[in-house]
Amino acid sequence: MTTLIPEMFNNRSLLYRRYDELNPQYLELANGAIANYSSADCSSADSAEQLARSALIDLSLLPRLGFRGTNAATYLQQSGLELPERPNQSVAGNHGEQILRLSKQEYWVLGNLQSDNQWLNQLSLASLPTERCYKLFCQDSHAWLMLTGRHLADIMAKVCGVDLRASVFPTGAIAQTSVARVNAIIISHQVNGIAAFSILSDSASAEYLWGALLDAMQEFEGQVVGYSALQ
Amino acid sequence: MSTVQRLKAPMGLLINRNKSVSFNFEGKSVAGLDGDTIASALLANNSWLMSRSFKYHRPRAPLTMAGQDANTLIQLGGEPNVLADRQNITDGIKVEGQNYNGSLANDRDAILGHFGRFMPVGFYYRSFFKPMGVWDKWEGFIRKKAGLGKLDLEFEPQYYDKKYLFCDVMVVGGGPAGLTAALKAADAGAQVLLVEEQPILGGSLTYNRFDILGCEADELRAKLVAKVVNHDNIDVLLNGVCNAWFTDNYLPVIQGQRLFKVRATECIVASGSFEQHVVFRNNDLPGIMMCSAVNRLMKLYAVKPGQRAVILTGNDDGYLTALALSDQQVEVAAIIDMRPSVANIELLEAVEARGILVKLGHTVYEALATSDNQHIRSVDVRKITAPGQVDNTAMQFDCDLLCMSAGYMPAYQLLCQAGAQLSYDDKLSEFNLSKLPAHLHIAGSVKGIHNLNVVQIDAENAAIKALNNLGLSSELTTPTTCHNKPNFPWPIFSHPKGKDFVDYDEDLQAKDIINATRLGYRDVQLVKRFSTVGMGPSQGRHSALPTARLVANATDRTVTETGVTTARPPFAPEKLAHVAGRIFDPRRRTAMHYRHLELGAKMIPAGNWQRPAFYGAAQNRDQLIQAEAIQVRNNVGLIDVSTLGGIEIRGPDAAEFMNRIYTFVFLKQPVGKTRYAVLTNEHGVVIDDGVACRISEEHFYVTATTSGVDRVYRDMMKWNAQWRLDIDIANVTSAFSAVNLAGPNAREVLATLTRDVDLSSEAFPYLAYRQGHVAGIPARLLRVGFVGELGYEIHVPARFGEALWDHLMAAGKEFDLKPFGVETQRLLRLEKGHVIVSQDTDGMSHPGELSMSWAVNRKKPFFVGCRSVDIVMAQPQTRKLVGFTLPKNSNKPLEGHLVIKGDDVTGHVTSCEYSTAVDAIIGLAFASIDDSQPGSILSIRIDGGQMVDATVVALPFYDPNNQRQEL
Repeated sequence: MTTLIPEMFNNRSLLYRRYDELNPQYLELANGAIANYSSADCSSADSAEQLARSALIDLSLLPRLGFRGTNAATYLQQSGLELPERPNQSVAGNHGEQILRLSKQEYWVLGNLQSDNQWLNQLSLASLPTERCYKLFCQDSHAWLMLTGRHLADIMAKVCGVDLRASVFPTGAIAQTSVARVNAIIISHQVNGIAAFSILSDSASAEYLWGALLDAMQEFEGQVVGYSALQ
Repeated sequence: MSTVQRLKAPMGLLINRNKSVSFNFEGKSVAGLDGDTIASALLANNSWLMSRSFKYHRPRAPLTMAGQDANTLIQLGGEPNVLADRQNITDGIKVEGQNYNGSLANDRDAILGHFGRFMPVGFYYRSFFKPMGVWDKWEGFIRKKAGLGKLDLEFEPQYYDKKYLFCDVMVVGGGPAGLTAALKAADAGAQVLLVEEQPILGGSLTYNRFDILGCEADELRAKLVAKVVNHDNIDVLLNGVCNAWFTDNYLPVIQGQRLFKVRATECIVASGSFEQHVVFRNNDLPGIMMCSAVNRLMKLYAVKPGQRAVILTGNDDGYLTALALSDQQVEVAAIIDMRPSVANIELLEAVEARGILVKLGHTVYEALATSDNQHIRSVDVRKITAPGQVDNTAMQFDCDLLCMSAGYMPAYQLLCQAGAQLSYDDKLSEFNLSKLPAHLHIAGSVKGIHNLNVVQIDAENAAIKALNNLGLSSELTTPTTCHNKPNFPWPIFSHPKGKDFVDYDEDLQAKDIINATRLGYRDVQLVKRFSTVGMGPSQGRHSALPTARLVANATDRTVTETGVTTARPPFAPEKLAHVAGRIFDPRRRTAMHYRHLELGAKMIPAGNWQRPAFYGAAQNRDQLIQAEAIQVRNNVGLIDVSTLGGIEIRGPDAAEFMNRIYTFVFLKQPVGKTRYAVLTNEHGVVIDDGVACRISEEHFYVTATTSGVDRVYRDMMKWNAQWRLDIDIANVTSAFSAVNLAGPNAREVLATLTRDVDLSSEAFPYLAYRQGHVAGIPARLLRVGFVGELGYEIHVPARFGEALWDHLMAAGKEFDLKPFGVETQRLLRLEKGHVIVSQDTDGMSHPGELSMSWAVNRKKPFFVGCRSVDIVMAQPQTRKLVGFTLPKNSNKPLEGHLVIKGDDVTGHVTSCEYSTAVDAIIGLAFASIDDSQPGSILSIRIDGGQMVDATVVALPFYDPNNQRQEL
């Protein structure tokens, strides 16, 4: 049986090599291969504990869509989405996706972490209104990293000047700011009841940001985990 | 070294008596205890001499035991200027003194102390430069003598970082005021950060004595600390120094190798005050310390500071210190009280009951040294007859310890940085602070409050004000009055023989300050700069107050009018490593980055991207570039151009927007065609260029330079904020990976991978744009001619970038496809005479001098910079960018080499390289308009001053009819 590796697919995360030294097993997902386990003998209990303590995951393969324009809101609502009331807010969608509002007229939809995202894939193929609703390129322009655990605010305080403590940055809040001197969108949410930050940042500097976050996590025994930790 | 026995518990709050530590000082082994500082361990071993003073190389020992003076600066391994009274000992550390010639104990440069009259205040401003040329002789000597400590040039950088902290209330100082304020604020629901520079909470409660029995401090400390450490709303940061105050309560706190950047909504500064010294002759001898220093030595480190002490005081604290010393079996020979009387009769009786002599209205006039001049042996005490004056009758008291306290100076630095005003109260003889900015409060002895009960009320008041601002309380403050008057009005007794130090760091005596004013430097700011008072490591903690008094007296002004010099950050020395922190230096990589590494590419930075320059060893650069160029010219090559900027313009007004932004015409650009796009700024200067593809009527995809795209995007957003055209603008640089497949066989290679795009020259001509799939990957294809060969730029979503490269390299195998790098591309485009903006252009280059007039439509109503372009191009042209050649065996000019005509510089080389295709050296240069015609000769000055003559030629150098790129 051939071992699955990212190079078997055209669709590759720009971060897949960051898992190389962790001896990962890959899972076919979203027309690519995602690192499933972060090490050969990592049990699910270990992963859960690591997730709760401090973990970093690459979710760049998961689908995401962006829309902008005066007709974007109408189009998305007609597609069945409930939208956040204000910019810099996110809400959960009916299919497990996260809907982000980044400005008055810009919305991103991040795929469900646990499903095959059929609904979102169909939305990506659907026709747009003829005018004033433009699809954005966030699947490729931005990498998707997720940071989890009880030390989120402390870790981010080493790379970001915005107050991200839970008391002022609750679930559903979005910060569009600078992290380790690169632009990033930070979304506060929960994964399996554990506090998490999804960080969307320039894909070309994703490896650099990955390194900066891991460095900041070291103090809290943070580690890279695979996709299976989220299941 | 002899070891003095440690005092019994409860002395020694900071030490662990069960753990010994051994280190090396000046080549000798020293035994200490875990928790000792270098200074306390040395003093425990009766080793007082720690440094030599800056100018006179006088022997120096700890003065404050709190890092507030520079007497304890030592060399710790490879690190100079470490404060021995703040640095903990660990096993095996190597400690040395600084600033001596010979040995610390026998410093040959101590002879300088005898030549003080040849080194009056500010002498270096008036010496060393006359007669002309003498400075060259002095400089080497002075450089060798100046500076403290030695740098380790083999030093390995360590990990320093920074972290933000956020809180409702930050309290600076963990003494009685700080602890009380923190508790008050936290009890009301505020999130409090309490910062304390010592390893334990308590401040003066940890060492000072506030009552005759000596119980009050310990009891209060225990009560307050227990509450603080168990409070959910208080975070304590020990060993943290708040090093500055910046606007809106932005405060840096240094702890170890981390700089915390604290953002506090409210800030309470309870930073305490600095005990002040008395100025008399030889007041710097080892064995002379502040009263608080002696108390710290005993309480914190259980070190007996001497056998026989004299106290010199201007307040009750000296008496309390005498009691503390007496408790630890130190004989107190006398209390020399500068005041004429003592209000606290109980205190007076308490010391007299222990047989301690009290001399009221007296002062120490001179301290006398042991025969080796390295420790105090006795003091000359005289009656005070008038401020600063004594009578002639001397009494001598033998002692090996002199404890002094002339009063206190508030730790004003952070507050003055915040704009607070320092005013001098003549009645209390002390400075106080006012005019604090909103959201900044003070409490405790920094506010001139020295009574413990009043301190606590005052601290609660500060917290109440903070809580009021936070909306967490509507409580009112309680008025307070403090009757303690610890400052003696004039503790300065100048001696005719001098060595009565005002500033220990700079070896400045009282007469130095007075003489500075007599030389005309009457303003305290000028006194500082002329004399260097307050410029040493202690930054005026002890010299500011006596200097203000002396200058005021000498210039017949009040102390308030005189003031102190400006307090600027940092409060305490901070390392560059703290300021730099963990360096964040973003780097961008293309999706194909690792393929380049695997192929042995020499990577170079292009802005914050990494790009392959060429493939192979760096030392073979020239041959490799030529080989890659030949490969592209004769066969096929592949280059990663993902760093190119990309911008999407979409919407009903897309064409109109393009037409206004760029110089060319875009309204009628056909769908499926590309067009060269030149961008000028409002001055008419060319600032960027690219290729604009019309994907549909309302959709353009335009490229920009790697380093210019962010600026182009920003400018587009700015312009459309004004124009309000109905478009969307998106910077998609990172969203796309791109390659240029170039060479006569490019079509053949691409044809093996694409089924849905007709690649024939008829169906896909030069400058056309098509969409399709390459190896199943959705792709945008542009026929471009940047390198002058049949070429396809293939743009795919970035997630497919590496796969695209893999497929093309695999498909190209049968054609011997090879990668080529950006240095090779520079040569290829140079052969075509193509300009690289910001390489071949500068801040003045308009389209005319770049021969880009063909890309500028002068008939359309507007483009950015059109008016300026009209103006500059209507002027007589003075220079032009031209192509030139040189025989291949000539010395090759480099970029930047000047074009010289007679005595004038008429231009410079912007690009130059040997070209195999042309078999000559080719280049681009700015030249005088008179020399811009083909056939003209340009004289270029190359390295070493040599001149070479180049010939101006028509561009392009290669394939002048552009046939190859239009295949």
